Amino acid sequence: MADPNRRMIELVEVGRAYTRADGQAVKAVDNVSLTVPEGEFVCLIGPSGCGKTTLLQMIAGLIEPSSGAMVVDGKEIDGPGRERGMVFQRDSVFPWMRVVDNVEYGLKCRGVGAAERRSVARDYLKRVGLAHVERAWPRELSGGMLKRVAIAAVFANGGRVLLLDEPFGALDYVTRHQLQDVLLDLWEEPGRTVPTVIFVTHDVDEALTLADRIVAMRSGVIVDDIPVRAARPRDTDSLLLPEMVAIKHKLLGHLGLERAPGRAARSGSAA
Amino acid sequence: MTPLARKRDLAVSFAVFLALIVLWEILSLVYTAEAQPGEPMVAGWGTLFTRTLLSLSDYWQGGLGVRSVADGAPRSYLAAILSLASHSAATFVRLGGGLLLGGVLGLALGLGVSWSRWSRRLVELPTQFLRALPLLAMVPLFQLWFGTYFISQVLFVAYGVGVIVFAGVVNAVRNVPQIYLDNARALGASRSQLYRTVILPAILPAMRSVTLLSLGAGWGAVLAAEYLGAQSGLGYIIVYAQQFGLLDRMFLVALLFILYTSMSYWAIERLFARLLVWSPAEVAR
Repeated sequence: MADPNRRMIELVEVGRAYTRADGQAVKAVDNVSLTVPEGEFVCLIGPSGCGKTTLLQMIAGLIEPSSGAMVVDGKEIDGPGRERGMVFQRDSVFPWMRVVDNVEYGLKCRGVGAAERRSVARDYLKRVGLAHVERAWPRELSGGMLKRVAIAAVFANGGRVLLLDEPFGALDYVTRHQLQDVLLDLWEEPGRTVPTVIFVTHDVDEALTLADRIVAMRSGVIVDDIPVRAARPRDTDSLLLPEMVAIKHKLLGHLGLERAPGRAARSGSAA
Repeated sequence: MTPLARKRDLAVSFAVFLALIVLWEILSLVYTAEAQPGEPMVAGWGTLFTRTLLSLSDYWQGGLGVRSVADGAPRSYLAAILSLASHSAATFVRLGGGLLLGGVLGLALGLGVSWSRWSRRLVELPTQFLRALPLLAMVPLFQLWFGTYFISQVLFVAYGVGVIVFAGVVNAVRNVPQIYLDNARALGASRSQLYRTVILPAILPAMRSVTLLSLGAGWGAVLAAEYLGAQSGLGYIIVYAQQFGLLDRMFLVALLFILYTSMSYWAIERLFARLLVWSPAEVAR
């Protein structure tokens, strides 16, 4: 089982700078420090361009930080690694591989035998509800189904850290909620160490439904770090609990949709 | 496209084809000028498939129990067919060898260069030069460098094909969507696995047009190579016939050439349709 005292992800003063086309240096991520214990579901929220995707890609090892230290499971991050699975915002499923081959891709790269990886892949396809399209080409699948394939592929690869970059952002309301359930079911799957999750989103309700903890970012820095203690599973009513509403107001403030955290209630009573 | 629309398209194409044949026949009847006595500028179908075809037995060099005309044998349809077959085969071998050599080298070099950003930068300018250089301008150079032998002609075709394949591969690899590379790396693919399982399949759709282009260049190159110095092949027949003003033979060989190129394009199209069953763009075609 997951050990909440164990530090799974540790970021120390991590920064990422790049030079814009006009020659100006920009800090996409600026001095971010964050510690995530094993098994925690963290939602990273913030307005677009706040550096949340950049931070996630650095943890994935796809881009390098310009400064700071990043440690996952006691090891310094050096490029991508299979212990860190990533689900992307855009469709990442390989169109030239059948669905099942996509799901077992990571295992194949590691040299797992054909029979074994096929059975693992089938198992996860069943769990995400895609057993019937095992032999289909990705072009025959809808956007929501492709996301299920991507999630199955990452879970089949057995990473202990899951990084999700606005995975359901482009999906319709119904599909988004279905996939949130699929993700939580896999995350809480009994008999397996609960993976540590960093889920990037700009959807406040999504963050409130999924997270143990919500980290808000703005202009490359962490501006808030809020624990979410509401019981699981959470439904529409859970989002109406007073503490959830309070968090929501805070987050909307960080997203620039309400003037400032805390002030919304006051201006409401004055009216 | 609906089956009915497809059928109609086919019917129209066939009608146009027939009309062209009839038009040529009419032209041969109306325009009766001769290049030399007994040698019409525009030979009708009757002439082409009797006298002209028969005359091609002149190019049969003997063997298989059929004596050559040079040895005193009379012209025969058998010798004519054998002659066409053997000269076609000579052209095919040159083309095939060149395509294989140029294709493999172009692909390997293209993939190799794409390995790092630095190697890509290094070859950027030279590749532009090579692509800008007209292929046919190189014929005399190749002759002087490698002689008028078989290997020289194969090398020439390989050069024409190789430049196109190389540039096409470098460009196609550059255009592989980053998302697939990221996904593969995040799932644990090594560099060589990335090449085999992501880059190669991802460039296939682009390689379809690259292959068709290089095939066209290959046919052009093999003819050009045979025009200058070869002692066999369809290009040799055309040049030989031109020297004696035998327009009907040139036309018949040109027709055969059209047939061959069309068949090769068709085969490549079929091959890629098969390789690209997974591609949404291919299915929509």
